[in-house]
Amino acid sequence: MQGRPPRTDQGRAAALVGLGETETGKVYGRTARDFAAEAVRRAAADAGLRLADLDGLLVASGLRHDLDLTLANALGLTDLRLLSQVNAFGATAGAMVQYAAEAVLSGAAVAVACVFADAPLRPGKSTGVAYSTDRPLPPGLPGLRAAAGVFGVNTLYALAARRHMEAYGTTSEQLGAIAVQQRAWAVHNPRAQMRDPLTLADHQASRWIAEPLHLLDCCLVSNGGTAVIVTSPERAADLPAAPVYIWGYGQGHPGNRYMRGSDFGLRTGAAAAGPAALAMAGIGLDDIGMLQLYDCYTFTVLVTLEDYGFCKKGEGGDLAASGILGPGGSLPTNTGGGQLSASYLWGMTPLAEAVNQLRGRAEPERLVRDVDFAMVSGNGGILDHHSTLILSGHDRRTAGRP
Amino acid sequence: MTAPAPGPPGAPILRRTPADAPFFDAAARGELLIRGCPACAYALPMDAYACPHPEHPPGADGLGWLPASGRGTLVSWSSVHRAPHPAFAGQVPYTIALVELDEGPWLEARLVGADPAGLRAGLRLRAAFVHPADPADGESFPVFAPDHPTPDHPTPLATGDPAP
Ligand SMILES: [Zn+2]
Repeated sequence: MQGRPPRTDQGRAAALVGLGETETGKVYGRTARDFAAEAVRRAAADAGLRLADLDGLLVASGLRHDLDLTLANALGLTDLRLLSQVNAFGATAGAMVQYAAEAVLSGAAVAVACVFADAPLRPGKSTGVAYSTDRPLPPGLPGLRAAAGVFGVNTLYALAARRHMEAYGTTSEQLGAIAVQQRAWAVHNPRAQMRDPLTLADHQASRWIAEPLHLLDCCLVSNGGTAVIVTSPERAADLPAAPVYIWGYGQGHPGNRYMRGSDFGLRTGAAAAGPAALAMAGIGLDDIGMLQLYDCYTFTVLVTLEDYGFCKKGEGGDLAASGILGPGGSLPTNTGGGQLSASYLWGMTPLAEAVNQLRGRAEPERLVRDVDFAMVSGNGGILDHHSTLILSGHDRRTAGRP
Repeated sequence: MTAPAPGPPGAPILRRTPADAPFFDAAARGELLIRGCPACAYALPMDAYACPHPEHPPGADGLGWLPASGRGTLVSWSSVHRAPHPAFAGQVPYTIALVELDEGPWLEARLVGADPAGLRAGLRLRAAFVHPADPADGESFPVFAPDHPTPDHPTPLATGDPAP
């Protein structure tokens, strides 16, 4: 999609100058810490930086909390001016990039690495086992839902998706259209875990996990790590790689309460985060040439499209079924296959794909050309937490000037 | 129960804490309690910490318990086919429900006595209680069934009668 030319703006936008991705998927025998260290080293090398040039590190772990500040020691980083763990569940990647951007623009740090890594898969165990929750029930009232069999994210996202279906007539076939279009992208992505072409019939025939969610509505489980380096636009200009600039960001945490009037399943933090990020960037939805949306489930993509305003509330199913998200469509979305078909490294999956695309690093069959702005989402909890990034190859200091 | 009981044996064991002992004591009597503010009788979500009125006392000591009618409507549901915990392996498929109690709070609970294919949001529901046979098997807890008996399930409430 051809966007309008970027507008002149006096503002500075921080820059993503390095991306480091480890081998991802069924990669066994390595810890999250090992993946994280490799990802940071790769990201620094990609940026043309030495590890000693980093003065900030933001660390995010998966559900097992097996990654922490000691990663800095493992990497031999000294005299850091910024070092923290960040956790906003699935919204973490966008939040980390936001905090890193604010740090480098304020001068609190010069070059900040943001890293996520996870290693839930074990050889010989199913992907379901990796995230199954076989721990004891929490005692007291918090244990009530689990005693009922409402246990883990699949059952809760199923309740969210069913509520949307009841309210707006959304169908399983419309959710399936998202899985099919993302797989069509993954076919051209050698790094994707699932590359066989997928039909809507395949989606409908896949086994139920928790109705209305079929197996093919649910994301993969992956081992691996991804890191990015954020620096100031001035520092980025001295580095060899083409920067990707962070024009806008936003978060939304609606705090839906479990009581009458709740928007649970109907409206998410994307409705606040998306417009905030667009306003910061000074652009509109028409300027977005590519979407990289957090897709823990097909439904998450559908409701995010609605909340960002790409269609009216309740019409996300029609938009998905129209086919515009896939290769050749007018709204290229999750162009590497996303978490459904490529790999699941939480919010790093959509972020890394946006960076690679904006730098032209994708196979010709799936490279989306002439994109001025990409919109990247993160989603955490049960649609409780949302982060949005607006990324561009245009330097905001000079964009639109003659 | 009129449907395969979601309670023991096999279910993860539900334990009380001192703070929510009133809830489980009531459940053992077949009565449903909800969180509420004693200063204004405002019903709150089950995870609430404080009444939205700032002048009312917050915290575990500030909130109290209100009797609930045990009646509500179906907000959403799911038939769960892959056991999310090993303890449920012998129960799948089973149906869970998101219930809006008439007093306002939402509860997630097992749905019994209903054909999942015929469910619609807004269906009227009524609480019943699962009572473990042995106290070692944990606390009583609510399940929900359609408020109107069906030919297949003439008596959705087989155990206890919810509080008025
Ligand atoms: Zn009150």
